[in-house]
Amino acid sequence: MPSPRLLLTFLLVLCFTLAVRLQLWYQNWAGNRASSASILNVIIGDSRRMFANHFFTKADAYFHSGFYPTIFDQAGAPKKLHMTETSGEPDEDEHDHAPAADKSGKKPVFTDLPGFMGAPSDWIEKFGRNFLPSEHVHLESGGGQREILPWLRISADLDPQRVETYTVAAYWLRTQMGKVDEAEQFLREGLRANPQSYEILFELGRVWEENRHETARAINLYELALKQWKNSQSGKKEPDDFLLAQITGHLATLEEQGGHLAKAIEYLELLKTVSPTPAAIQEQIVELRAKMK
Amino acid sequence: MNNVWAVSNVVIKELYRRKDFYVLFILTGLLTGLLWSLNFFNDDRIVRYLKELCLLMIWISALVIAVVTAARQIPAEREQRTIFPLLAKPITRGEFIVGKFFGCWLATGMALVVFYLFFWIVTATRESNVPIGSYLQAIWLHWWMLGVVVALTLLGSVIFVAPSSTITIILLAVGGILIVGRHLHHAALQLPEPSQTILSVIYFLIPHLEFFDTRDLVVHDWGTISWVVCGLATLYAVAYTTLFLLAAWMIFRRKALN
Amino acid sequence: MPHKVLVNAAGCGCALPLGIARLGADWLRAKPLAKSVLICHIRAMKDAILKIENLRVEYRSRELGQATKVAVNGLNLEVFPGEVFGFLGPNGAGKTSTMNVLLGFVPPTQGAAYLFGVDVRQPIARQRIGYLPELTYYYKFLTAEELLRFYARIFKIPRAEVAGRIDAVLKLVDLTDARKRLIRTYSKGMQQRVGLAQALINRPDLLILDEPTSGLDPIGRMQVRQIIQRLKSEGRTVFFSSHELGEVERVCDRVAILHQGELKAEGKVADIEQKYQCGLEPAFLQIIGYQEAAV
Repeated sequence: MPSPRLLLTFLLVLCFTLAVRLQLWYQNWAGNRASSASILNVIIGDSRRMFANHFFTKADAYFHSGFYPTIFDQAGAPKKLHMTETSGEPDEDEHDHAPAADKSGKKPVFTDLPGFMGAPSDWIEKFGRNFLPSEHVHLESGGGQREILPWLRISADLDPQRVETYTVAAYWLRTQMGKVDEAEQFLREGLRANPQSYEILFELGRVWEENRHETARAINLYELALKQWKNSQSGKKEPDDFLLAQITGHLATLEEQGGHLAKAIEYLELLKTVSPTPAAIQEQIVELRAKMK
Repeated sequence: MNNVWAVSNVVIKELYRRKDFYVLFILTGLLTGLLWSLNFFNDDRIVRYLKELCLLMIWISALVIAVVTAARQIPAEREQRTIFPLLAKPITRGEFIVGKFFGCWLATGMALVVFYLFFWIVTATRESNVPIGSYLQAIWLHWWMLGVVVALTLLGSVIFVAPSSTITIILLAVGGILIVGRHLHHAALQLPEPSQTILSVIYFLIPHLEFFDTRDLVVHDWGTISWVVCGLATLYAVAYTTLFLLAAWMIFRRKALN
Repeated sequence: MPHKVLVNAAGCGCALPLGIARLGADWLRAKPLAKSVLICHIRAMKDAILKIENLRVEYRSRELGQATKVAVNGLNLEVFPGEVFGFLGPNGAGKTSTMNVLLGFVPPTQGAAYLFGVDVRQPIARQRIGYLPELTYYYKFLTAEELLRFYARIFKIPRAEVAGRIDAVLKLVDLTDARKRLIRTYSKGMQQRVGLAQALINRPDLLILDEPTSGLDPIGRMQVRQIIQRLKSEGRTVFFSSHELGEVERVCDRVAILHQGELKAEGKVADIEQKYQCGLEPAFLQIIGYQEAAV
């Protein structure tokens, strides 16, 4: 029987050798979470995406001041998150957003309740609604939307590849809170994590167009966005025509303002292919052609 | 009632001489402080996330204090044999149970006041308009909810021998009721018989603790709820508390202490 | 002496038997011999301060093949005011079970027990007793003073008297210096003394002690013996269980010997010793049927 000390020494040497051998392999292993700089990535791995989604939804719940379906009310959950609506966009979700006339000065109430509340099924549920937000409201404009920002920030940290987080947060930052620098910074952070993202590029373009009023820079960004869109969406069964329309629309407007009518027409022609109102676009094209002559 | 207050006085002394409350309060304070110090897009007026997370920690801490304190009372007295010199005095088992209940409930209430005071201070640093009415309603309803929980825990402690069992079961039950309690009936309606009936019966029998959870209303500044509704919720809590204490007394009075 | 008994009885607030109430002025004029006869008569007339009638206590048995275990079987016992009564028996004889019934911890399976004529199942039966358990554990997070104040409140001792009583009992058990310290800092002997203090806080007419000298050093045992004798001289009744037959011989007026749940002997120590023609310990061993193993 070998002496215990000898055995111990042998085991120690074996462990050390294995550690040195395996370390090289582990560092090259694709599933190595420890190579990530993010502590969250290391701790919770890919389930962070699930948490990121939860916090993104939480931001929408905050947008509704807590009036939101739980996971048990999923049947009535809004298909589109309200906070993602951008200015000037047709409202695509189901709810009627015409607020009721409110003389008391309180926050506006959207009178048409969404489906998830419904009529209470018993007295317990009826009584319980007294202790929950039970009116469909949105956060007040002029800065009230700041309350959704922490959840968007956390969501972005957990899932940097979720592009929508950056664009939504940037939209509210620059339009309602006057924080243009912060919006741009956040978008650039999103761009670093998603260099091919046409959505972020488009939103950055809007920062330079609508807030900083630098047309040239905005056009550059929109063109880059368009290029990225073509790279990623062309050939897809259902390409993101909505955003293509946005990009081309903005480009056409800016080029027209800059006097580059030929380019404007080019973008309008592209817009016409995806617009729900091609006739109106065609009229604009005809007008521009007439101006060129 | 003299005996009841005497026993409750001892329970209160026990709570503030143990470390549990201070540890939880410091933990809540530290976590809230950490959250308060976070900078989101250079905006120092963002407050709702802070309110929500602070209230969540307060709820968890208060629940832990209430359940752990109540679950330990009777088993610890039996294990440490302090129950014998006490019950050898002219005190009934009913007075003993009620005294333990009031002690745990009042002690938890005191802890709640400290927690909510802290919460008020934290929110006042970010919000100029602090809705006192909402906060008072929130703490009142929260306290009554804990009363139901304490009574339920005392009932558990006379049924289960080990405090750890009682604590686990009660925390799971309370957590379950708070999260899914109000959805059980809807879930039941989608099930076939006899599951539908069983789940519906459970739904109507359990104490609906979600009646006392006004965190969403406080976080999102919905204002106060009707005081009549608040009063009805209080009566609801009184009913369930009485029921659980009565059940605990009926079981405890027949137990042989030897 | 008889007059002292009467005064003490009146001072304790005991319900006086009808005989004494009728005596009134006659009692004061009666000659000493007549008074002695009267005392015997009074004792016979007086209700037992502790009375056990056909007591049977059964527990659910943990042993296979046995549904219940009989801890006490058909016990009849009476303890009269002013006596020191020793309750003896080997381990498992049923002493603790009997005490548990007296104190209301365990309900009797059959029979009944009374304290001051009140069924032990009524909490008021415990208003005038003091109890010292064998294992003395008290709330470790309280000080001795707080503990006594708590128990004084249970006994509804008037607030004006509480401070004085606490001072008196702490002085009696020599814990005045440690009164403000938490009980968790006390030694075993100090905890035993706290136990004695809480048993005396209400100036009980009946003291029930479960192995009062268990775990004590000789000085501690002597102190307990002195306290018992002092209580006896004050006319209080002491009912205690013990294994220390030497102590029992020195302080007890009467003893009862229990074995396997049944009462085997009862009476004065001297009478038992005379009957068995030996000391209390050998008599005890004979009564319980102990036979030394052959070498």
